[in-house]
Amino acid sequence: MAAFDYRQAVEIRDALARHQVRYLFIGKSGAIILGFPDTTQDAVLFVDRSPGNGRALVAALRELGFALTDTEAADVERGKDFVQLKNGPFDLDLVFAPDGIERFEDAWERRVEVEGFPVCHLDDIIAGKAATNRVKDRESLPRLRSFREYWMKRVT
Amino acid sequence: MAHKSVSERHPTGDGARGPVDSVPREWLEEFEAAARRSLETRMRYAFIKTYKPVLDDARFRSFDTMADYRRWCEEHLPDWLGYGRV
Repeated sequence: MAAFDYRQAVEIRDALARHQVRYLFIGKSGAIILGFPDTTQDAVLFVDRSPGNGRALVAALRELGFALTDTEAADVERGKDFVQLKNGPFDLDLVFAPDGIERFEDAWERRVEVEGFPVCHLDDIIAGKAATNRVKDRESLPRLRSFREYWMKRVT
Repeated sequence: MAHKSVSERHPTGDGARGPVDSVPREWLEEFEAAARRSLETRMRYAFIKTYKPVLDDARFRSFDTMADYRRWCEEHLPDWLGYGRV
């Protein structure tokens, strides 16, 4: 499978918008949309956990070409904390309870939109990576914090 | 901190706000260069694909809790992938 690309991101954005799914790009994929120059393999979505949103997400994923069995669809619909999808046209991670962020609603209020892509604020992305405390996140945090400083001066 | 639309409030490529002194120069130059690129180009440079053992070997995984997921990563993935906690 090839690397995730802009066209696929647009497909996600448009399909999830059609189904009125509430979600945010998070993690390094979110930071990259905000302008952070780095590399990643993962497109990660932070999804609002509610029955209606879960159903809408499953419908959107199936429309995008993800081959979800009924059991898998139920896991997504229920909003299990972490779901890894490699059964579609591109790989996608879904996170319903990211480390470092208390409530979806708070992150939604702070979100930033770039070309219609809803993205977690950098402060939330950084908080998530700091709370996760994995080796790979620890390595990227200093550069990400520097980018935040640069980015905040441009946005405000 | 409220919702912002960057397309309205984040002009790209003009270095408009002056230097950010505490940011290492090399990184600052990379940030400025990235700001001059389109989102499509930034994504083309950013997203890469290499095979990740174990992680890429299942078509679907789900975990009830993030703690379950972190534990699974630590127990099943090679250390060099970097998914283990510090």
